Amino acid sequence: MSEYRKPIPVPSAESQPYWDGLREQKLMMPRCDDCAHRWFPPSLLCPKCNSAKWTWTETSGRGRIYSYVVYHRVYHPAFAQEVPYAVAVIELDEGPRMYSNVVGVPPENLVCDMPVEVSYEAITNEITLPKFKPIDARV
Amino acid sequence: MSALRDKYAIVGTGKSQLGQVGLNSLQLLEQAINNALKDAGLTNKDVDGVVVRGADDIYSHHQMIAQRLGVDASFSTSLDNGGASQILSIILAVMAIEAGLASVVVCGYGRDSWSRTHTKSGTGIPTNDLIPAAQRPKEHGPEFGHFGAVSQHAFGARRHMFEYGTTRDDFAAIATAFREHALRNPEAQMKKPMTVEDYYKARLVVDPFCMFDCSLNSDGAGAVVVTSAERARSLKQRPVLIKGFATHNNTKGWIEEDHMLSTGADESGKRAFKMAGLGPKDVDTAQIYDCFTYMVLTQLEDYGFCKKGEGGAFVSSGALRMGGALPTNTSGGQLSEAHVEGMLQIVEGARQLQGIYGPDRQVKDAEIALVSGHGGNQVCHSTLILGRA
Repeated sequence: MSEYRKPIPVPSAESQPYWDGLREQKLMMPRCDDCAHRWFPPSLLCPKCNSAKWTWTETSGRGRIYSYVVYHRVYHPAFAQEVPYAVAVIELDEGPRMYSNVVGVPPENLVCDMPVEVSYEAITNEITLPKFKPIDARV
Repeated sequence: MSALRDKYAIVGTGKSQLGQVGLNSLQLLEQAINNALKDAGLTNKDVDGVVVRGADDIYSHHQMIAQRLGVDASFSTSLDNGGASQILSIILAVMAIEAGLASVVVCGYGRDSWSRTHTKSGTGIPTNDLIPAAQRPKEHGPEFGHFGAVSQHAFGARRHMFEYGTTRDDFAAIATAFREHALRNPEAQMKKPMTVEDYYKARLVVDPFCMFDCSLNSDGAGAVVVTSAERARSLKQRPVLIKGFATHNNTKGWIEEDHMLSTGADESGKRAFKMAGLGPKDVDTAQIYDCFTYMVLTQLEDYGFCKKGEGGAFVSSGALRMGGALPTNTSGGQLSEAHVEGMLQIVEGARQLQGIYGPDRQVKDAEIALVSGHGGNQVCHSTLILGRA
């Protein structure tokens, strides 16, 4: 793992529980105790009702590709061997959207609204990334 | 708001040198403000208000530019609303004059993006040099190889293509129309013609965007002088009346709800048109914030120049070209003149209404111009409607 050269996320005090969850292969999102709203990334208060009472809650890890792009330009040297690679906006079934990569499918086979599920990739002892793979293995 | 309609005016416009200039953003803005004051027939002694913006790592930008120009300001501030800031500077100028805080306000923006991205010590790999290090995300993006504004806007383009059948041909129609305009503009950074074939030959940056979907890296600045319409009558230039303005920021975020498909142009446009007592059919020329081709298409829909989803057909009809239904970004825009975060769109809108250009570049009988500003993590938006005096 010492050869990992891509950017390694730097958790904040606010996001640490998210990364702790991923290390245990759980995709956690804030869920409001008062109005049940789920959101990401975390904030001190629920952005819907401004309640301070909320709980990190596991999601199904399932969702769809809301949109995606394919990087051809190298913005960081660690990605020089990977272009062209796709970055997607994933919408989880529970509502929140997040950036990720879709693995196990070539970029040219991607399409918006494709159903996907989370796939965990441990990059260090501390950090596991949530990536996504198509639910239908035929793509 | 309609009480302010036609009560204030733009009385002078100025640009700095544009393109690969090699001056810093403050020097460029100095040039532009000085040119705008000369255009208005005013001097630094006449100015008592300064509302500006510059590179994101310059603190208290307004104080620095006012010091350089020898302006004592009773009202001055710097803005932080991305590409929506430049129209906001005009809105703040009007509000400040209306409140009695100032009487003659210079509004401007300068950037040195070409110089900053063309340093000789570079590694050869482009970076996000324009974003100060402290502002770059540390999680939820870069670990996936996700960097910067090109891909953020490309997400919107992709979803629009999926939902409405928009194609890269439509984006090409925008890029080539603006290049045509730039060729008639001696100040424009881009001097070479661009065909649709050239567009498709250009390297992909972040698919669906190729190089020609992306705005330029420019050194440049623009500025305008705002004062009351009453005072404007005794000044040198034909004044340009400020008829309507509004802002709207989809602050929940670009990837949330339908914000990447429907921008703040929708809400801010409705309110700006209401203030002006006008509608999309009254607009003779549009100057749209074109950080990327797609953003022109979606804003034209959001303003009501065509229906949502029909932007592709609208731009591909030739509407944006001179003589088209809505000549747009008639200086070449940020895609082909220079990227000065919307400030040059304001200058061009005003100049079209002053009718200063020769027949090849003048929108015939232009009476109403709409100008847009977009930025601030992709969700901040501002609209300005200007009218011939």
